[in-house]
Amino acid sequence: MNTKQIHRFVLKYLEATQCEILDKSPYHIKVKLSQAADRELTNRPYYWSFIDRLNETPETMSFLFVTDEEKYEATVAQQPVEEPKLLTPEEKAMERAYGIVPKPLPRIPREHLHFGSSRLKQLFESAENNGSYVCLYQEPQTRTLHPYDSRPYTVWLGINYMVEFSCDLKREEIHSLGISLVTGHCQEQFYDRLTSMRLSPRLPANVHIAKNGISYTKALSIAESHLEKRLKSYNYEWAEKAQARLQEELERLEGFYKPLLAQATDEEQKLEIEQLKEKREEEIRWQYEPRVTVSVINSGIFHLDGID
Amino acid sequence: MNNRLFTTNSSNDDTHQKPIHPAVNVNFQREWFKELQQRIEHNGPWDQWSMFQLAMEAREATVIHSFDELLCLRSLPSIEPMPHQLETAKRVLNEMGGRAILADEVGLGKTIEAGLILKEYLLRGLVKKALILVPASLVLQWVRELNTKFGIAAVAQKKSHSWGYEIVVASIDTAKRDPHREVVLATDYDLIIIDEAHKLKNKKTTNYQFATQLSKKYCLLLTATPIQNNLEELFNLISLLKPGQLGAQGEFNSNYVADKRLPKNEEQLQHILSSIMIRNRRGDGGIHFTKRIVRNITLELSKEEQALYDAVTDFVQQQANQDGIDISSILSLVTLQREVCSSRDAVFLTLVNMFKKTAEDSPVRARVWELVEVIRAITSNTKAEKALEIINECEGKVILFTEYRATQEYLLQFFEKHNIPAVPYRGGMNRGKKDWMMDIFRGRARVLIATEAGGEGINLQFCNNMINFDLPWNPMRVEQRIGRVHRLGQTEDVNIFNLCTKNTIEEHILHLLHEKINLFELVIGELDHIIERLESKEGSIEQRLAKAILRSRSSQQLHEEIDHIGASITTYQEDKINN
Repeated sequence: MNTKQIHRFVLKYLEATQCEILDKSPYHIKVKLSQAADRELTNRPYYWSFIDRLNETPETMSFLFVTDEEKYEATVAQQPVEEPKLLTPEEKAMERAYGIVPKPLPRIPREHLHFGSSRLKQLFESAENNGSYVCLYQEPQTRTLHPYDSRPYTVWLGINYMVEFSCDLKREEIHSLGISLVTGHCQEQFYDRLTSMRLSPRLPANVHIAKNGISYTKALSIAESHLEKRLKSYNYEWAEKAQARLQEELERLEGFYKPLLAQATDEEQKLEIEQLKEKREEEIRWQYEPRVTVSVINSGIFHLDGID
Repeated sequence: MNNRLFTTNSSNDDTHQKPIHPAVNVNFQREWFKELQQRIEHNGPWDQWSMFQLAMEAREATVIHSFDELLCLRSLPSIEPMPHQLETAKRVLNEMGGRAILADEVGLGKTIEAGLILKEYLLRGLVKKALILVPASLVLQWVRELNTKFGIAAVAQKKSHSWGYEIVVASIDTAKRDPHREVVLATDYDLIIIDEAHKLKNKKTTNYQFATQLSKKYCLLLTATPIQNNLEELFNLISLLKPGQLGAQGEFNSNYVADKRLPKNEEQLQHILSSIMIRNRRGDGGIHFTKRIVRNITLELSKEEQALYDAVTDFVQQQANQDGIDISSILSLVTLQREVCSSRDAVFLTLVNMFKKTAEDSPVRARVWELVEVIRAITSNTKAEKALEIINECEGKVILFTEYRATQEYLLQFFEKHNIPAVPYRGGMNRGKKDWMMDIFRGRARVLIATEAGGEGINLQFCNNMINFDLPWNPMRVEQRIGRVHRLGQTEDVNIFNLCTKNTIEEHILHLLHEKINLFELVIGELDHIIERLESKEGSIEQRLAKAILRSRSSQQLHEEIDHIGASITTYQEDKINN
């Protein structure tokens, strides 16, 4: 992710959570958080439980998120320093009485959102937690429909899979599959198809949903066997190597502990060594054992135009 | 969730397992499907489409495309690792399976290497729970470095609930004791880092026993001491990391050990070692240090100062010749002499304390009072004048080291009088104040007056002028001082000014450090090994020096004694080079 992509992401997140954008440039966003976003991001559970219990109006936090530190500094440097405002009569009175004029604006914390920063990581996690399950309808592409015509829509189960290949090393792949509940047909890169169309949470007019031919459970197993077939065709040299390393290490342990066990004088000592050996073996398996894990990033029910 | 929990052969409702290759199975996680079915049944609640897309975008941005490409660099804007540090991190991750001894020479950044490896594993999700065991004095420094340089939310272990955090820094002496011991041993750590690991060389110690009982997936042992010197110790250390890597104990002894310190089949041993240990050296290509330019400035004491020095020397000799004097009193007596060379304030303070401590009817009291009278005559400080001159000639900032608090206070006032902004730095300050002083020095102050250098390391790469107002007797402390400014990241040549007064013990000390040990030109990092070996055999250098000074009747004799001490250090030095 470059700074531009980060900026876009943050802006979209803040908009999706209905935050109030106070000021922005391509390099920064000044924002007053919505209640939902404040609860999600500011880690103030006591404050919120206080507000909830007393039914008080909450004061949400504001932030200055800087996405491009260098360019932001440059623009700030160019701006003229603001003239101090003239005091109103009330403020003058305050100043006479107390010696100070209370500042109305609280300080806005400034944060640099770069890739790897903890705030950005928090936004990522928040998005992942709050964007898991959707139910959406495609908006009709053309408005030329006859008012009494009805377009058939197909229900799709869309799944974004994360495939993890790991031993002591790790890599990942994202697989997006869509399964038509009408035909059982399985489509790859389904997410790309979704992002190219307009989707809405409401059923459009003049649309009817085709009858499902298969159950959700059946669709799931179609998706899994499709993915399984894909994965079977991969090269597993890495896993073979990891297995070999694992065996080698286990033999090494055997060689190390065998003489120790032979030398052990009493049962207690023997047991102790035995336990240590088991522990080491367990660790080595934990470290090297190859595994492929398929988890789901998010999924949803999508009602799309046409029968396929 | 700890990935160890998932066992290979179970398949339940939430996961679904299938073989896809003789070497590996695939696990489908199905928890999400139940949740989806429930939402379908209740017709909601459904998440927003925009959030769904953001979730995908986030995951696509963090997906790990390859097994071996280093990911941590793009998320670390605040550090720029050196090539040898990156190389080390890559080798540990990709070739050594995350279990290694990092044995770089002092000052090459083992902490950075360990931090890079930890960060990489965290980003890859291969490490969630990590334990970092370090000497107690380094706990906070580690936490600070991990937080600021690596953006890793490490926590210093303070209370027993601290163990619950994901990344904990603790001292091994605390961790091994009850009630902590039980908690630590019951936890499976994805990564354990042990700093100063050479302290674990003896397998009979409780620390070693404790270390063997820890559960770990990856493990890094950090040490700068060349453990190759003792094969038994080397074997023990490697047995912590990869038992059996050097064969069983018996095989190891017959294959590689000719004598305790003498290996055989060295080439083969080195080969095996290189698969488990990385040692970068200063001499290796790509690691560049700037030059040290050392200037010794010999000063003539003023008439009054010399009078004080002579009076104090008389007093010290007299006291030392009394019967039944112990080594610590000898040291404090000699300190008086050294203090005269620093400032009258320093010696005054010690004399006052001495006066208070002696019995009211003791004849010593009167003697001490006489000395105080001599101090009164002194109106200026020769060294301070010279230091001022040097500072005015230097471009940029200057760090000035002194051994004594009183001198530090005096110099602060002295510089203030001459309109040179200076700040103090000393061991007794708390962390916040230290950081504050450092900030001022970085900003508007020109001079930092410090009384300590080691321990809580201060890094001052932005400053390349250093004045030793007085010299510590222990060469290691001098080295630590220099190490503050002359380290990786220093871009300028480093100017070192040693202020030294003629016809005093200082002259002898400088002679020892500069001419005998050649300390100031010595390659950084060599010294600590030499001193460590010397002191383990012959006692601390300070004590040997103090004895020599009191024993000597003449300057000539002292000169010879000091030459002797110097020679013994040089022997070890040559020893090391020949090894």
